[in-house]
Amino acid sequence: MNRTLTIIVKRLGSLLVTLAVMSFIIFMLVEIMPGDVAQMILGQSATPEAVSALREARGLNDPVLQRYFRWVGGVVTGDLGDSIYMQGVSINSILWRRVGHSMVLALTAFLIFVPTSMFFGVLAGVKENKTTDSIVSFFGLATMALPEFVSGVFLITIFGVQLKWLPIVSVIPIGESLLSNLEILIMPALSVTFVMFGYISRMQRSSMIQVMHSDYVRAAVLKGMPRKYVIYRHALKNALLPTITIIGMNMGWLFGGLVVVETLFGFPGMGSLLMTAIKTRDVPLIEACVLLITVIFSLSTMFTDILYSYLNPRVRLQGGQK
Amino acid sequence: MMKYLLYQLKKYPLAIVGIAVLLLWVIVAIFGPMMVSHTHTAMDSTNQMAGPGTAGHLLGTDSMGRDILSRIVYGSRSILTVALMTSIFSTVLGILLGFMAGYFGGKTDAAFLRAMDILMAIPPLVLSMVVLGIIGDSSILTLTLIVSIAFIPATARVSRGVLLTEKSQEYVSAARIRGESHLYIMFVEILPNTTGPILVEATARFAYSIMMVASLGFLGVGLQPPTPDWGMMVIENKPIISQAPWAVLFPALAIASLVIAISIFSDFVSKVLIHER
Repeated sequence: MNRTLTIIVKRLGSLLVTLAVMSFIIFMLVEIMPGDVAQMILGQSATPEAVSALREARGLNDPVLQRYFRWVGGVVTGDLGDSIYMQGVSINSILWRRVGHSMVLALTAFLIFVPTSMFFGVLAGVKENKTTDSIVSFFGLATMALPEFVSGVFLITIFGVQLKWLPIVSVIPIGESLLSNLEILIMPALSVTFVMFGYISRMQRSSMIQVMHSDYVRAAVLKGMPRKYVIYRHALKNALLPTITIIGMNMGWLFGGLVVVETLFGFPGMGSLLMTAIKTRDVPLIEACVLLITVIFSLSTMFTDILYSYLNPRVRLQGGQK
Repeated sequence: MMKYLLYQLKKYPLAIVGIAVLLLWVIVAIFGPMMVSHTHTAMDSTNQMAGPGTAGHLLGTDSMGRDILSRIVYGSRSILTVALMTSIFSTVLGILLGFMAGYFGGKTDAAFLRAMDILMAIPPLVLSMVVLGIIGDSSILTLTLIVSIAFIPATARVSRGVLLTEKSQEYVSAARIRGESHLYIMFVEILPNTTGPILVEATARFAYSIMMVASLGFLGVGLQPPTPDWGMMVIENKPIISQAPWAVLFPALAIASLVIAISIFSDFVSKVLIHER
């Protein structure tokens, strides 16, 4: 338990460093690149005086370092600042609802792809080189690098355009909540599932094969134990373990995938908010979204690493990969 | 070698399909633009959202009357170019950084790992889209550079890993005793012995590069018009998916066929090279 605590402290420390470096780079990048949010709010026809007055009012004329540290000071006290583009709307008031939506979407996808990919991976591993294995392996290979919007388009064409079972866009009517519109989650969640399925099922398959060829499984088989018993009692436990790390390592792809599917379906989540923020060069909003994605992503990798070491005390923790 | 390859192809017949589709796209990218009847920007104002096969548009047209087939053909050029450059560039960067870190070890390695931790903390797609979006310039060169940087943690770790396994070999100590320079040992002695795993990683990277470039195009931060981009075609035509599904479906199919072909190819490469060793 003591070691776990050390890991947590270390990881959180490194997370803080990462956040500081990253947020600083984003501030500087926006600073040195052409484009001006004040100009964007007022439009191309605005007079230079009006633009500069708005910059003054928003505090955009202060030196970049001063703005950066003012922003950091706010974040530390829980104030993410105001959106520049959306005329001074506080980010705290728009962001958290979006984050909630994205988390529900991610969780739905997670609940679909984790059991299915692990199940089919194990199945393929047990039936190595049989027809079942070929089908699962090919499907995994095909979806492994398939962009989320491509699988999403296929789903929309089938279930949205042809069968008309599911809505083509995932918007929540004004005044309603996501929970009363659960059908809008299905296609976005499935779109993310394909990529994750490809990668995780392949990993699960190879780890299962490795275990099935190990000495202790062979010994159990040679001892005359029923094959099913060997698979359930001996092989499965050890074959599932590495997959936990694989899932943790791939959370990054999941978050990238969320941005893509949210854009495709117009789903009101954090990813589509980030997309809007980037297009309008809204620095505080970009910072808030990136910060949050990084924190959630890092915490989830940390959590899987701790879970892994908890389940398998022999492992020395050295940080995730990929 | 040839015989061995043929034997492997016989063992994995699927690889033939993958390689054939990949070659087909390469041929389309090189010669296609000379063969299509329309250019990618030409607008046929009398045939907007025309269905596949009508009025000389084999795959139909989009809402502006632009020929889908021509746009896909022209688009194959840019996506293959960027993805190929990205996989080569990120592999080279990965070898340079990973080899340096693994070879010198100690503080260099620690600094490398720390930098990778920072780079890895933000998902590669999010990193590229934020940077490209802020820069606001997505020429082929910037796109290649940014995506390559986002891929460095993955490629550099593979290179570092294979270097570490080679480092303790006797031929390395022999070269050291001969008084060879570090650069010579790294790139003339060690590198040729690591081509297998590095090639496997590079071909897999090719598939991921296609995925990234297509996704960035889809998000609107990839190659900018008038350069036709498959990902951008999808998002542009999404609003008319009910009336003209072909405008969305065909570019999506193009991406899918290319990505799957490359995945099969890279799977084959890894089977051949890893078994060979």
